[in-house]
Amino acid sequence: MDQAVAVLLNFPPPGGFADDAQYHSAAQSHVLEVEKLTAKADFNKSYAAQLLDHVNPALNSISYLSLLLAVRGANSLPQADLLAKFSVFLCTFDARQIRYRSSAFSVVLDLLASGSLFPASVAVDLLTTALLRLDPTGSVLTPHHVALVKLAYTTDAVEPALPLLEKDIIFYPGVKGLLETRPLSDPDLPPAAYMNREPGVQKSLSHSDILEYDLLRALCFIQRRAWRQAFDALERVLTYPARDSHSCSKIMVEAHNKWILVGLLLNGKVPTMPATMAAGAQKSLAALGKPYQSIGKAFEENTAESLKAEYESLGAQFFSQENNLNLMRLVMQHYQRWQILNLRQVYTKISLEQIRARTQSAETAAPLATEAEIEKLVQEMIDEGMLSGVIERPDGGLAHLIFVSPNEELSEAEFAQKMMRTAQRLKELEPLVKAASERLGTSRDYIKYLAGQQKKEKDGWRDYDASFVNTVEDEDLMTGVVAGY
Amino acid sequence: MADSLLQFFTLMDDQGGVIVKEPPRFDLDLYISNYRGRTRFDRLFLIGHSSVPLCVDALKAAIAEAKRGRDTHRYREAVECLRIAAPSEPEATFDQRWLQTQEANNQIETNRLLTELKGYKNNLIKESIRMGNEDLGKHLESIGDLNGAAEAYTKMRPDVSTPKQFLDVGKHLVRVSIQRREWGMVSAHVSKLGGTQHAEEERAVQPYLKVAQGIALLGQEKYKDAALSFLAVDSSVSGSSYNELASPSDVAVYGGLLALASMDRKELQTSVLDNSQFRTLLEHVPHIRRAVAQFVSGRYSACIAILESYRPDYLLDIYLQKHTANIYSKIRSKCIIQYLIPFSCVSLDTMAKAFGRPDQAIEDELAEMIQSGALQARINTIDKLVTTITVNPRAQMQQAALQAAENYERQALDRLRWMGLVAADLELKGGRKMGVQGFPGQGDFAMEETLG
Repeated sequence: MDQAVAVLLNFPPPGGFADDAQYHSAAQSHVLEVEKLTAKADFNKSYAAQLLDHVNPALNSISYLSLLLAVRGANSLPQADLLAKFSVFLCTFDARQIRYRSSAFSVVLDLLASGSLFPASVAVDLLTTALLRLDPTGSVLTPHHVALVKLAYTTDAVEPALPLLEKDIIFYPGVKGLLETRPLSDPDLPPAAYMNREPGVQKSLSHSDILEYDLLRALCFIQRRAWRQAFDALERVLTYPARDSHSCSKIMVEAHNKWILVGLLLNGKVPTMPATMAAGAQKSLAALGKPYQSIGKAFEENTAESLKAEYESLGAQFFSQENNLNLMRLVMQHYQRWQILNLRQVYTKISLEQIRARTQSAETAAPLATEAEIEKLVQEMIDEGMLSGVIERPDGGLAHLIFVSPNEELSEAEFAQKMMRTAQRLKELEPLVKAASERLGTSRDYIKYLAGQQKKEKDGWRDYDASFVNTVEDEDLMTGVVAGY
Repeated sequence: MADSLLQFFTLMDDQGGVIVKEPPRFDLDLYISNYRGRTRFDRLFLIGHSSVPLCVDALKAAIAEAKRGRDTHRYREAVECLRIAAPSEPEATFDQRWLQTQEANNQIETNRLLTELKGYKNNLIKESIRMGNEDLGKHLESIGDLNGAAEAYTKMRPDVSTPKQFLDVGKHLVRVSIQRREWGMVSAHVSKLGGTQHAEEERAVQPYLKVAQGIALLGQEKYKDAALSFLAVDSSVSGSSYNELASPSDVAVYGGLLALASMDRKELQTSVLDNSQFRTLLEHVPHIRRAVAQFVSGRYSACIAILESYRPDYLLDIYLQKHTANIYSKIRSKCIIQYLIPFSCVSLDTMAKAFGRPDQAIEDELAEMIQSGALQARINTIDKLVTTITVNPRAQMQQAALQAAENYERQALDRLRWMGLVAADLELKGGRKMGVQGFPGQGDFAMEETLG
């Protein structure tokens, strides 16, 4: 047992390493040794469970991970204790070491996502923490992400997953022919280079998985009523690239319909199709999204009648079949709110009675019955932060709403601060850009393309010269065609 | 109003016609004496079925006008109207004998001209063919067959040999197109005529072309271009050269009104009031000149008052009728916008005094204008104030800068994502496989959205 402890605690040595290369080779040999150790027949049965107490999960992460799996395999620890060890490990592991044990770690994450170890909400929380520890930028998609969002959404445990869901995915597994010269231990190594290294992951995600990931993300945000983020997530589905000019996924259609409704809730008007959409999607969505586009058009009108008519002609049945009934109901409720909100474009102060007369509820296509109802609605909007304004009731005067216009002009300092923040965010993109460009630089297809391009350019110039000389020869030289040359 | 008249105008109202109850300021006989050709009947007939006070007189004059010509269809039309409006008038019964002889004569004449033309064509004499076509066109135009006339006039084109003849063909075609209300065709024919003649001829025909072009543009609701066209009419050429389309005072009215509707104060001053050519024409209609001058000097309510008092006249004009309401509302909103420019805050009462109208509250009108984006202002309905919004270029710049940075960030991320997807070979590629790949089973992802 003592020998086993010595092996397990062998890495990392207390003194640390002089450089990354040393770390790299030491880590690799350590992984092999630990694997040898755990493969011994008597290891699991006898003392693996006790060893767990001697190994620090934050310090000796490689060893701890192997022990955990061995213990779970041998069932030699009570379930409650095992789970406690698991969660401590997932919250404290050393991400740099785990890069060398990605397949074993992947097994742990799969266990979490399957929901067999922990209750769903805990599993979601641990998965999110673990994935973010491994890749703090959150820019690389793994199959675990897809599993996580499914688990989170289906078990109604969206909140713990939010920190991960809010990240923008840029890198996807399955890139072929990448050449990474730096050792895995390099702390500057972009996440894309060490994530998704386990065998089989390259082919494990298809485009529908990725579309589904974004759609489910959007649904999570819709559940949280985070319209802006939901809208962006849906837009990612819509702008998914296509290789040809006719492909369109059914997930895109679904996303498009929700995208229109969320756009109405977010901005009060129909969103314009992003210019970067694939041609096939553009065509198909324009045709398949007709009912929603007409809802959107009716929403923009000054009276509620056509919205009500559109909604009723399609019927609640239609929307519930399309899984959009709740969103649609919300859109109907929000119609009057947007009408009121749009009044701020025209009025600075307006009496509640006038608001009542000028706006209609989309459910009845008629103004609300009493001033009190309007007041309740307006107050709700103010409380929710949708509307900035105050309701005033002067003595003997009309109860009225005062729109407070935000002070548009920022002071120089505020503005500079905001710009700085944006610049900072752009700077944060830099490593991502660098990583992407590195990946591109080492991809065989790109180099082939580049070489072709250069060749073409050279040929192009030659052709141009030749053709110009030819035309000049054919022309009458006295007319001055070549005067400029 | 007599029962029959009431019945007539109810009928006209049902057909969507414009009805003018107020008497216009002009005298019918004097008015119509300004015109020549087929437009006389058109104008009389229009007044007949639009103006309540002038209905019977105008229709009677129209019948007389029709009887002087050869177009039996027009005669029938006018008599039909008069029969409903004033059945007791002697003109309200069909003159069957005149109708029959006229129709027979028309038929004979058409046949005669067609045979003649055939003869000319056989002889292959270009000049005769041209004249034959012209005669036929004129005849067909006079009996109301405008399609046939346009066709005959078009056939003149290949046999034209002098600039004068070229001009004649063009004028014929323009005139027929205007009668047929084919504004696009009018413009096309006018542009064919432009710039191909000798200076002198060009000068003589310039007003005709400009007037025709203006009318065509007016018909297409291109007010600014139409105004410029009318303003360019050469006033030194006698009005008789274009009075088969419009009279000089009409030109002044069209030009002035459209300029008011489409130009700003400075432009009005330079291109209307300081335009010596157009000034001569404006002398025919001093009230328009006054209205423009009032607008330029900032007395908007006076300008509107003048225009309002002439509204019935313009509603009875053959070309303006359909556009009067539109042009007036444009002028009105321009007045309101101009009125508000020097102020940061105006009380609604003052506005109502300046622009008040019995049929619509000024507040609603302002609200509409603000909503449509024509006016940059806010209404305070409690303290009855209108405050104008001054654009803050600083804030705009700041907004734009932040917006640009944000867009840049989004785009950068988007592009990186696409690169990632393309590199991973994960783009959508469908074709026939789409059924399997692109459309996964419904159960896989379609979940009811839940709202927290």
